[in-house]
Amino acid sequence: MIQFITHYNERYGYLDSVRLALEGGCRWIQLRVKDATDSEVRPMAIEAQRMCREAGATFIIDDRVKLVGELGADGVHLGLKDMPVAQARRILGDSFIIGGTANTFEQARAHYEASANYIGCGPYRFTTTKKNLAPILGLEGYRTIMEQMRNHGMDIPVVAIGGIEEPDIPAILATGVSGIALSGVVLRAADPVLKMKQIIKITQHG
Amino acid sequence: MKIRINNSERETQAATLQQLAQELNLPAKGVALAMTNRMVPRTEWADTPVTEGCDIVIIKAVCGG
Repeated sequence: MIQFITHYNERYGYLDSVRLALEGGCRWIQLRVKDATDSEVRPMAIEAQRMCREAGATFIIDDRVKLVGELGADGVHLGLKDMPVAQARRILGDSFIIGGTANTFEQARAHYEASANYIGCGPYRFTTTKKNLAPILGLEGYRTIMEQMRNHGMDIPVVAIGGIEEPDIPAILATGVSGIALSGVVLRAADPVLKMKQIIKITQHG
Repeated sequence: MKIRINNSERETQAATLQQLAQELNLPAKGVALAMTNRMVPRTEWADTPVTEGCDIVIIKAVCGG
């Protein structure tokens, strides 16, 4: 299960990245646009949501709880410095997916108890895409957190995130995480659509 | 038959993802479902067979259940 997190580079803008990911077969998009207001992001979010609906993809927006409610997106992803999960749940109600970033088991448990529906767990390794870096987890970090979650009966899916490259995917999935969040690796490829297709194939035990 | 949902084994009578969604009382909105690591759009649930031992991940807005 791949979640594509929007990004931009010298070749592609945010909406290009959504289109390329969908063309490559990804069916879970997180629109992440930092350092912009909701008004600036709204037109882009509307278009991204339209593309996702057309493709039957799940569409979530990073951080912007109000915009998610207003547009009726599928959900919101909350980073550690964003609004707390419990507060977002109060605002959005029960029909929206809420994901929370965790770097430790304790953070994952706090999100779970606050009604998060999935955990974005990372970073796997050092990444240049995201600032504010937390300590890297590596495979051992995922194994430990997954075991702790099992022991506590926490059955929400975990998505690994942070500097993950194509060859890392089988070993990361083998730790028990359900999904992989990707961003830079797809857009940096010479052919992003092909890259996404290859990555999805890897996740299908193929 | 036995299947796995979010890493836990479960018994189901469902022949398709659509039937599984009904069996689990999944809400009409706020659900994402993956089978064998592939996200399956809701429009394809009725045509996607559930097979013995298959691995399903459900992200659903309403907790518990």
